[in-house]
Amino acid sequence: MTGELPEDSPADLVEHFFRHESGKLIASLVRFFGLRHFDLVEDTVQAALVEALRTWRHQGIPNKPSAWIHRVAKNRVLDRLRRDKKFAELATSIGTSEASLESLDSCLSDDQLQDNLLRMLFTCCHPDLPADAAIPLTLKTVCGFGEREIAQCLLIQGATVRKRIYRAKRSLIQRRVSYELPGLEQLSARLQTVHNVLYLMFNEGYASSVSDAAIRMDVCEEAARLCHLLTLEPKCSNHTTHALLALMLFHACRFGARIDQEGALVLLEDQDRELWDRRLMNRAMEYLHYASTPDEWTSYHLEAAIAMHHCRADSFANTNWPAIIALYDKLLASRPSPVYELNRAIAVGQRDGPQTALALLHDLRSDSRLADYHLLDATFGELYRRSGELDTARQYYTSAMSKTQSASDRELLRRRLSQLGS
Amino acid sequence: MARFMFVYRGPAEEHQHDMAPEQMQQLMEAWNGWIGKGFEEGWMVDGGDALHLEGKVVNHDKVVSDGPFAEAKEIVGGYSIIQCDDLAAAAEIAKSCPGIDSPGGLIEIRELAGMGPKE
Repeated sequence: MTGELPEDSPADLVEHFFRHESGKLIASLVRFFGLRHFDLVEDTVQAALVEALRTWRHQGIPNKPSAWIHRVAKNRVLDRLRRDKKFAELATSIGTSEASLESLDSCLSDDQLQDNLLRMLFTCCHPDLPADAAIPLTLKTVCGFGEREIAQCLLIQGATVRKRIYRAKRSLIQRRVSYELPGLEQLSARLQTVHNVLYLMFNEGYASSVSDAAIRMDVCEEAARLCHLLTLEPKCSNHTTHALLALMLFHACRFGARIDQEGALVLLEDQDRELWDRRLMNRAMEYLHYASTPDEWTSYHLEAAIAMHHCRADSFANTNWPAIIALYDKLLASRPSPVYELNRAIAVGQRDGPQTALALLHDLRSDSRLADYHLLDATFGELYRRSGELDTARQYYTSAMSKTQSASDRELLRRRLSQLGS
Repeated sequence: MARFMFVYRGPAEEHQHDMAPEQMQQLMEAWNGWIGKGFEEGWMVDGGDALHLEGKVVNHDKVVSDGPFAEAKEIVGGYSIIQCDDLAAAAEIAKSCPGIDSPGGLIEIRELAGMGPKE
């Protein structure tokens, strides 16, 4: 594998420095104190970051900002243990001997960092936790997101985020989940859960109907960063991990073309392909290449391959629709889903015309799982428009509009409606 | 030209505990930008420093007590030294400081007397 993810370049490292520092410190300190003292750890980390903010705003950023924060966090920990009666017992059990200080230093050292982050990731994505708890927990503890940011991206209330994270932490503590990379006998099943959480996290960022594009992109970047982290650990760097990362990067490379200057969503069909990030696309190709052993293709492989065909086409018209349809057929055979069916029908519509697609979609019309899915209505609108049934198209666009809160989706639909005239 | 001390007051640390890391970073960058602009434009003499929240208080009877005022609603968090024509100009500068964008943020402006009596 050549090159690194863009997240690794110095400019980006600085960009989300506080977030990532938060994740690193939490992971390292939880390793030292154990999950039981999650709250102590989070308080300590928050206090260390606040101290950095207070000092650096006057003095500028020190030469080794990470080391600076680590030193503060370590002092905070020792301070708390010495002075806070609540932790008297903990202080006795840990002691402040040379040996325990050394082990604290070693937990905080850079060479343990990757291992600590992976432990935290596997803990947050524990099979005992539902995905709707694992995603906010991962975003908070591993990625350093605030509760408000998480709420904004997942489209849930801040109080709900807090509750889910709280419950997830309690549940991990009660079940005495061990803070480690699972052993080989469990690894495959546990890794599947991590893949699934990262996949869903990426989708939340990619497709969630929030108007704020920046935070969505951040969530996608985080999912890709964590997936990349998995590829660095030989135990976790299997074909599925590579396929998942390829899938994320094939989507990520089109970010720059997805929203126009007025903030409207730009459909694949209308995107300026010059704006696609070739470097990311090539990276995605490499990962997919490494992921390829056709006999064990997962849904991530298939989805990545579909995204690859879109990326490879020099124009929308020249897309390899037959290949994409065949890939959707495989996906549907292994994992039936109304959303796959919808996307397959769209591809068929490109190959065989809108009437054929409309016939395929007939049954989905009454599928309750898609009742609130604005993209179904938007697709109907599109297909009827192309068949020249403008009144019906208008009805579907209007209905789609009522089902989405996303400003960029609404702007696109509004334009479609105004093109149709009244 | 007169010199002024900006005394930054604000909520004690606990109040910053719900701040997200990204927010902290943005706030810090805003401060660095403001202080940098001050040096460029010449009104910032010394970016100053933050003060630790803990200290000692010694009173008239020479009794020394622990002096964190962390339970106080607002606490002195740091200072800078600014130079400009007069208090009114200093107040205008203070308005552009990111420190007052946070809820509860406050800047006390005091002229340094050592420059001599006003003419």
